[in-house]
Amino acid sequence: MVYIASWEEFVERSIQLFRADPQSSRYLMKYRHCDGKLVLKVTDNRECLKFKTDQAQDVKKMEKLNNIFFTLMARGPDADISEVSGKEQAEQLASKKGRGRRQ
Amino acid sequence: MVLLQLDPFLNELTDMYKRNTEKGSVWVTLKRSSMKSKAARNKVKNVDELEHCCLVRATDGKKTISTMITPKDQQRFQSSYALVLKAHMKALKKRERKDKKKAADGDKKEGEAKKSKKSDAAPKPAQ
Repeated sequence: MVYIASWEEFVERSIQLFRADPQSSRYLMKYRHCDGKLVLKVTDNRECLKFKTDQAQDVKKMEKLNNIFFTLMARGPDADISEVSGKEQAEQLASKKGRGRRQ
Repeated sequence: MVLLQLDPFLNELTDMYKRNTEKGSVWVTLKRSSMKSKAARNKVKNVDELEHCCLVRATDGKKTISTMITPKDQQRFQSSYALVLKAHMKALKKRERKDKKKAADGDKKEGEAKKSKKSDAAPKPAQ
């Protein structure tokens, strides 16, 4: 069980792991309110990456990662994620539904 | 294992977080899945046709709930899910690094401290 110290490294490696084997990779999140701890785990049943934190600022980062994984899983592992905010803009361009969130 | 629709799942998830505030954990798992069994998948043979659905499972050790997210629901689920998380993950620590020095300045500096959390090698010269 590998705990990764750096958030960026965790994100990069977990995306790589997922893209390598989208069928068996999964992303897990465990939250304990009483201890104030959050643990993230990405595994393909062979290799396992974990990240733990007790910092509130990491919740936002985790949400971005959630979005990335949702996109990868829904659209396929070759989806272009472009750090999610880029993805959202690209989506709005493509969908033409005019949600009015561009500015 | 209870398979729910999207909205009931979110409601149950909210309840789960509420129930486990004093003690206990909440696990949420996200996995890609086609909805077919292995035999059916082999029949399809054409990988491009594989439906990309997201299986989301949540448990608190006692009860398990799950739901399937289709690409159409993905955006909606994503934002609702983010709301649920933000609302419940309040127990984590705020960045306390600069608080001692900046207690007088208050919130402004805290916001800055969050942004400059990586550059803690260069503290503000307020000594």
